[in-house]
Amino acid sequence: MLSGGSRVSLASGETKTGIAVAAPRRKLVWPRPRLSYTGQLVLMLLPFVAGLLLLGIGPALAGLPLALTHYNLLRPPVFAGLANIQEMLGDQVFRRALFNTLFYIVVAVPLRLAGALLLAVLLAASVRGVVVFRGAVYLPTVIPDVAWALVWLWVLNPFHGPLNQMLGLFGLPGPLWLTGEWSSRVAIVLMLFWQLGEGFIICLAALAGVPRALLDQAAVDGSTAKQTFWRITLPVIAPVLLVLLARDTAASLKATAVPGLIFEPSTGMREGGFFLPNYIYETAFEYLRFGYASAMTWALYGLTALAIWVQFRMVQRWSVSVDGDD
Amino acid sequence: MTGMIRLTRHGSLTDAVRYVLYCLVALPFVLPVWWVIALALRPTGQPLGGDLLPVPWPPATENLGRVFEVVDFARFLANSAFVVAVTVPVTILVASWAGFALAQLPGRWRTRIVVLAIAVAMLPLTAIWLPRFILIRELGLIDNLWALTLDALIATSPFNVLIFLWSFARIPDGIYEAARLDGASAFRIWGGIAMPLARPTIIAVAVLTFAHHWSSFIEPALYLRSTANMTVTLGLTMLQQLDRGDWPVLMAGILIAIGPVVLAFLLSHRAFLHDVRDAGWIGR
Repeated sequence: MLSGGSRVSLASGETKTGIAVAAPRRKLVWPRPRLSYTGQLVLMLLPFVAGLLLLGIGPALAGLPLALTHYNLLRPPVFAGLANIQEMLGDQVFRRALFNTLFYIVVAVPLRLAGALLLAVLLAASVRGVVVFRGAVYLPTVIPDVAWALVWLWVLNPFHGPLNQMLGLFGLPGPLWLTGEWSSRVAIVLMLFWQLGEGFIICLAALAGVPRALLDQAAVDGSTAKQTFWRITLPVIAPVLLVLLARDTAASLKATAVPGLIFEPSTGMREGGFFLPNYIYETAFEYLRFGYASAMTWALYGLTALAIWVQFRMVQRWSVSVDGDD
Repeated sequence: MTGMIRLTRHGSLTDAVRYVLYCLVALPFVLPVWWVIALALRPTGQPLGGDLLPVPWPPATENLGRVFEVVDFARFLANSAFVVAVTVPVTILVASWAGFALAQLPGRWRTRIVVLAIAVAMLPLTAIWLPRFILIRELGLIDNLWALTLDALIATSPFNVLIFLWSFARIPDGIYEAARLDGASAFRIWGGIAMPLARPTIIAVAVLTFAHHWSSFIEPALYLRSTANMTVTLGLTMLQQLDRGDWPVLMAGILIAIGPVVLAFLLSHRAFLHDVRDAGWIGR
């Protein structure tokens, strides 16, 4: 180290005196062994792969054995066999959280995708100023989840809130949103629907990517805009929609945790607005039951994987039947 | 352009009808933000509810000031700024290096690592909470802002690596080859050729990363303990819990908290919304 440093300074001194010996000087300034080009690429990849293993795959796998233990962070884990899984099967709160999560995946996720696609179709034309309107649709997505939930606390306020006022304009009775079971459920679906910007942008890109020739050919053949959309555009972008569906399913498991943490824990919210992530959070970090929380986490994994598999099967069948139509 | 219009069902509509329709579509998405602004700038004495389109005129800034009196909001802003200042550059570095390497490594390797990255990206974050919490506790980073920066090592989201991969894969191989024949190192080609060509991608990833960490809530809630370390999102919940009836101050806090993110997206909207066909990060 020391000798290397002095040699480098010697080398720079040499240049001052004008003794130009380029080749050896270069070797001294770069003392590390020369990596091959591929080696350099691997070096560039290394931080990311290390991150994936240490912060992604590793922790995810480490959670598995915890499910078979009782663990409260204070004492070392105690092996418990299948006790946690048994408890899960008989747990009413778990069942309710599972139902709410399933309800969200089955109702809200497709609704968000349909909304994103509809908005993308409406705003697909590249006319003057369309960017402003696209930006408006994207705006709620930009807003941090917590801030958005707090905004909706106001929107849903039964007495002053604008939503019930709006319903009042149409002569509809405003529910006490976050106090009832089903009204809580609807409120959360509504609130998260507004943040569909990512799907919207990806749908826009997918629509722009539909080959022009296909659409022109359809027009020449006398296809109406509606027919073209259902028979050509939709099947062509189906793979993108599928990826969006799967991604939104995985993402929703995080998004649904926020309202439960922000809204007041009324009975309605406990029943209709309480999702698996909320129960896992509570079990782990409030009751310090890491073993049980880990078991439920694996149930959540299974649920996500199952939901994504079902979506793949359904879209597969649907796109085949669309192809078979013509 | 005509093709694009034919794509929609409203190709035959006149422009006026088109823009009225656009306004109707956009209105519900803008309205909640308008309510935030109107309540935050509401002059004292104006009734709280009762108006669907309140106009805060003359705008009062006292609520904005009170946010900083009720809680130490300046401190929270500084904490969030610190997290972002670390995570954005590190994410860009990790993601662009990995994307650059993947674009040139043999296809077999690329496929494996892309699958791994997608698998991690799809992991429900809930599933990593517990082991991650234990890891951070072991590292002694509980109640330390550095705990919130660890994510930058996986490029905040592995998708950011894929975005860079798509972007770099579009650069013709010949350019890399020529530079290599000149004896340039991988790092030199990355910094001198690839990155300057990927500027829109860099901007998009920077903004997405900034928004992700600025908005992050569950992680700070898990890892941070003391008020002095709180981030903006935690500060907002604190503001709400301190005085549940004071909507204008809460909305003022929300306005301050969302300001930087909205501004970042506005400044970079070209990368996201303009001609999506040209937006490199989408991957076409």
